[in-house]
Amino acid sequence: MKHSFYTSFAAVFTNEVLLSTKRVAPYVLIVLFAANKVLWWAKGPAVGLGWATNSDFNITRDYTGFCFLLGLPIFTGIIMGDPIVRDFRLGVDPLIFSKPLGRAAYVLGKFFGNFFVLVCCQSAFAITAFLLQWVPFSGMVVLPVRVVPFAKHFFLIVVISHLMLAAVYFAAGTLTRNAKVVYVLAAAFYPVYIAFELFVMKPLPVVFRILLDPLGFNTHREQAINPWQQSAEFLNQYVVTYDVSSYVNRTSMVLIAGVLLLIVCRRFSIAPLNEAGHFTGLKLSSGTERIAYAAPSVEFLDLPFEASLERDRITLPKVTSTRGRPAPFSKILAALGTEFRLLRAERSLLVLISLVILLSIVNLPPHSMVPEVSYSVMFATNTANTVLVLVIGLIVFYTGETIHRERELKVEPLVWSTPVSNSVLLLSKYFAMVSLILVLVAVVSLIAIVAQLLRGHALDFSAYMAVHGIVLVPGILFITALVVALNVLLRNKYAAYVVAVGVGAGLVYLYNTGHTNWLYNPLLYRIWTYPDLTTRPMLINRLYCLGLCVACLAVAHLFFPRKTR
Amino acid sequence: MLSIKDLTKTYSSGVQALRGVSLELSPGVFGLLGPNGSGKTTLMKIVATLLEPDSGTIEMNGADLIKRKDHTREMLGYLPQDFGLYPTLTAWQMLDYLAKLKGVNRKKERHSLVDALLERVNLASERSQRLGEFSGGMRQRLGIAQALIGEPQLIIVDEPTAGLDPEERLRFHNLLSETANENTVVILSTHIVSDVSNLCSRMAIIRKGKILAACSPRQAVEELKESVWEGTVPRDRLPAFKSEFNVISLRTFDGDARVRVISKGQRPNVEFTQATAVLEDYYFDLVNRQN
Repeated sequence: MKHSFYTSFAAVFTNEVLLSTKRVAPYVLIVLFAANKVLWWAKGPAVGLGWATNSDFNITRDYTGFCFLLGLPIFTGIIMGDPIVRDFRLGVDPLIFSKPLGRAAYVLGKFFGNFFVLVCCQSAFAITAFLLQWVPFSGMVVLPVRVVPFAKHFFLIVVISHLMLAAVYFAAGTLTRNAKVVYVLAAAFYPVYIAFELFVMKPLPVVFRILLDPLGFNTHREQAINPWQQSAEFLNQYVVTYDVSSYVNRTSMVLIAGVLLLIVCRRFSIAPLNEAGHFTGLKLSSGTERIAYAAPSVEFLDLPFEASLERDRITLPKVTSTRGRPAPFSKILAALGTEFRLLRAERSLLVLISLVILLSIVNLPPHSMVPEVSYSVMFATNTANTVLVLVIGLIVFYTGETIHRERELKVEPLVWSTPVSNSVLLLSKYFAMVSLILVLVAVVSLIAIVAQLLRGHALDFSAYMAVHGIVLVPGILFITALVVALNVLLRNKYAAYVVAVGVGAGLVYLYNTGHTNWLYNPLLYRIWTYPDLTTRPMLINRLYCLGLCVACLAVAHLFFPRKTR
Repeated sequence: MLSIKDLTKTYSSGVQALRGVSLELSPGVFGLLGPNGSGKTTLMKIVATLLEPDSGTIEMNGADLIKRKDHTREMLGYLPQDFGLYPTLTAWQMLDYLAKLKGVNRKKERHSLVDALLERVNLASERSQRLGEFSGGMRQRLGIAQALIGEPQLIIVDEPTAGLDPEERLRFHNLLSETANENTVVILSTHIVSDVSNLCSRMAIIRKGKILAACSPRQAVEELKESVWEGTVPRDRLPAFKSEFNVISLRTFDGDARVRVISKGQRPNVEFTQATAVLEDYYFDLVNRQN
């Protein structure tokens, strides 16, 4: 029996690793993590401050940052959320579950196979850091080559923290059999974790902060060294140790992961979920190699029943089909209506929209803030900045869903064989997404206006119109068009997510290092003030942004896989 | 009249799906019979404008269907072999949407068409049910309904009866027979021989991307008249028997092999009796001769 468990577990584990080697995402993550380590190594504070790049202090500092930043918790969600859901989605489940395969072997094989891949991706960061010991450049402090600290801290800080996160995502994805639940959890990670740290952990005594922190951040923080107040010599010789409470924290995270996996093993069922959202494509034909020859055709006529003649007598009414110029317009409206209907059915979208509204309320300017121009300008500017950052995630994720929906649901042949042009198909998706986001902007603006009025400040509606109309709306139009083009060109929504996140992270890094030229900053990140809005350069910039938007849509139209001529 | 000339298609993987397919199809139901992987679906997809051929032409009443895709789609009703539906829409909403895309813009007309279509495929009582809750047979019926939107002149149905229960299959046959008229070309692609023999006035057999034969089912059966024999052969003599005669089917019967043989003008042995030729005999005879 034991032998059987290990064989099945090993088979599932190996297959998961094999499947991952055929996917693009792990390789992209490896490149992203390794490149990021090189960037931190060359441009991080260690060089300027004389910190040894391979000191215990710098290694743990980098790992802690890596563990939290770069969207790693979100990538964990993407990799760990759907290993089992995928089997159901692809319809492989009957083939697998008709074999003598134990539930535990299947679930654990899936989990550890994917977690192994995740750790391999993460280790690109650690391995790059390890290898960079041999290539210091002038002025960089490097201690004699070290091995153990790289592996030890990587295991204790990165692997264990993400083991617990992976188990949470895996459990959520497997038990709900809905990958979108995991994506919502992943998207909610940062706000939830920050809120948890601020409101739950901060007031607690030190020992509890160490014990309860899922990512183990407080473990090092409570060792009471402030790097900005210590000399480089001290930090380079400083040995990071883990006390009992740290080990208890790490052990408890492993135990939590174990308990979650146990729950999944106990609760996982292969029975089909009874909900409308769970949908598999139609595959009615059996895979016969020869033509069916079960019964001679003449026998078919002798079936012992007759079809209802009454129903067969129903004649279809004559209809008039519109052709020519008005047709595309009415078709785009029809497609837009259906897109809205389909988007409305996305429960995760409703959750995320609520989250955006909540966060925009939390981010309202504090009472004490004094405006430079007026309260309306301050509130409008604040809303625009908050909303733009938040809706980018929504646009990236849901545009991908919308663009690839027909292919994933196998509706493509039905829709593509209708006399509807590619521009109708693309623009309906584009406008559906843009309209949805604009409605969201309107709601958030309304909340800001109400908050402003409640605080007793006079309302200048034109300030909202100017800020949102000039900064926000063109930005939303552009980013949606860019994501549409990206999805059409890459033909894979996950590749589009990764590229979008990568490009976004790269641009934010550039902007934060002072490179904010408007040519590669169409969203005007950190380069506008209210008085600029009515200037000529701003007009040119906005036209440039709209021009990019049109160019992206043209590219999407050009490379759309369906041929019209 | 639909005319397909020298159609070829090779996929990027190197698989040659179509090797110079030529067919002439007049109004009525035309059956395309062949095993899975023979190139039927590729041919259907090309005619339905969803796939580009490498070479060849398709014309209907003088119009080039490959070059004028929008025009083709206006007169096309297509039921794919493998398709899905939006799980969160209702049956009525889905048909209404596809009718709008087909250009049926007058609300009153469209609504009565959708109602009639649902009635026709026996889904009227499920009109408000979400498609995610539909069974395989119900989805297939909805697929048939959407193919009939807008009085199509060219209807392509790819493996339509696979997965349907016998009653629904019979209903589908009735539906398709009624749809075919003097103005409509219906192409029925199938690997089920009885679909062709029950429905089609003309047929073609396709295998490995090539058309092996094109005729009417009646002609096909006529060709084998008085050539089909049935009898029993002891198991140990079977290999020798198979090398001598064109065996088209074999079943175990009472420990011996019950075989069906095509032998023109010669009875295999005295124990064999003549059998009525059916379309399957023609198909297997053709395939055996090709092999």
